[in-house]
Amino acid sequence: MQFSNARPHFRLEFRLIRCSQKEMAEKGGKGFSLPKGSLKGKDDNSAKSKQGRKVQIDFEDVSDPLEPNSPKTNGKVNTPISKGDSGKGGKASKAASGGKNSVTKAPSPEFKIEEELPKNVKCLMDCEAAEILQGIQDRMVVISADPSIKIPISSFDSGLTYAKRGGTFSNPQSVRKILEPLIKYGVSEGEMCMVANLKVESDDEVFALVPSLKSEEGKLRDPLKTALNELAKIQSSV
Amino acid sequence: MFFHIVLERNMQLHPRHFGRDLRDKLVSKLMKDVEGTCSGRHGFVVAITGIESVGKGLIRDGTGFVTFPVKYLCVVFRPFKGEILEAVVTMVNKMGFFAEAGPVQIFVSNHLIPDDMEFQSGDVPNYTTSDGSVKIQKDSEVRLKIIGTRVDATEIFCIGTIKDDFLGVISDPGSTS
Repeated sequence: MQFSNARPHFRLEFRLIRCSQKEMAEKGGKGFSLPKGSLKGKDDNSAKSKQGRKVQIDFEDVSDPLEPNSPKTNGKVNTPISKGDSGKGGKASKAASGGKNSVTKAPSPEFKIEEELPKNVKCLMDCEAAEILQGIQDRMVVISADPSIKIPISSFDSGLTYAKRGGTFSNPQSVRKILEPLIKYGVSEGEMCMVANLKVESDDEVFALVPSLKSEEGKLRDPLKTALNELAKIQSSV
Repeated sequence: MFFHIVLERNMQLHPRHFGRDLRDKLVSKLMKDVEGTCSGRHGFVVAITGIESVGKGLIRDGTGFVTFPVKYLCVVFRPFKGEILEAVVTMVNKMGFFAEAGPVQIFVSNHLIPDDMEFQSGDVPNYTTSDGSVKIQKDSEVRLKIIGTRVDATEIFCIGTIKDDFLGVISDPGSTS
C-alpha cells in the first residue's frame, strides 16, 4: 500500500482469480473457497487464462488509516447504519438533533425535481390540490349521473383525502403570495410547496428537512422566518 | 407531491360515436382511460381538470377508427427521492411498517426506524420507544423522507426513512391534534 502524508490515500492491488465452471460446480453453492494458485477460466484470451488479472483501485478514506479506531478500509465512504447509533426517535416536533451519531450516516437524497419534470409543470401545494379536487368532486354528482363515465374512485378519493388531511389553508392564493418571495433567494418551487405542505414551525426545521437550502442559509434565514410567521398567522386565524 | 401538468394522448374513437356529441364522447373516454392510471414519469393521474385542445382526427386505414390527439390538463401525484411527506401507517410488522400518502405506498424498514424504537408484537403490532412515550401503529400519522422509488406498470412504490431529524410520529390514532 502506498499513502501520502497530505491525505490518506490507498491503493490496493489484488488478483482476480477465475475458477472454471467445472470447479465451481464441484465446490457447490455456499461455502466453497477459492483454490489457491491460478486456474483456468472462461476467457476469450487463452493466454490470460492462467494468469490472474490485476485490478487497481484508488480511493480516499475519510479517516486516517494510522488511527487505531479508524474503520476498516473497504473503499466505502458511507458506513452502514449500525444498531449502536444514537439516533433520536420520537415525535417529529421534538426530534431535534441531540447527541451526535457515533458512525457516519448515509447521505440522504436531496430533493431535486426540476431535472426530472418537463418545464410546463406547475407544483401544487396540498391546499391548492385540495381546492381543485374538491371542485371536481362537487361536479362529480352531476357527472356520475352519466353511466358512460366511470371515474376510478380509489385514486381520486385517496388523493383528495391526502390533500385535505390535518386541516388545510383556506386561502391557497395567500399562502403562495407569502412564500413566493423566497424564490429570489434560491428556493425552488418544489421546495416552497414542500415547506407549505409540512406546516413547519421554525426555520431550523426547514434547513434540517431541506438540506439543499443550507447553501443559501445566510440570506434566506430572515425572509424565511418572516414567511413562516405570516403562515402561522393565517393558520391560527382559520 | 401534486402537480398540474399538460399531457397529450392519442384517443381512438369508433365511428358509432361520431355526431354532435363527439367531443363529449372523446372527453368521457379520456377520463375513463386515463384517470387512476400511473406512469413512471408523471406519477398517478388523480383527476383531469380540463381539455386544452383536440386536434384533427386521422382515419386509420382499414378500420374506420379515428385517432384524435388530445391535450389535457390534469392533477398528478408523484413522489420524489428526497421529498418529505406525511403518511398514514397501514401495517406494522417486524420488518418495518407500510404507510400510505395518497395513492402511493411507502415502506419504512426497521433499519430506518430510530434504534430506540423496538417492535412490539401482539394484537396491535407497533414500534415503541423504551419509555413508551412514542408509538407507531396502524393509523398513526408519520412524517417521513423518501429515499427511493420503484415504478411498476400500475403503481409507484417508495422506500422511506424516519431516522433523520424532525421525522417521526406526528399523531397517534384517536388522539386530538
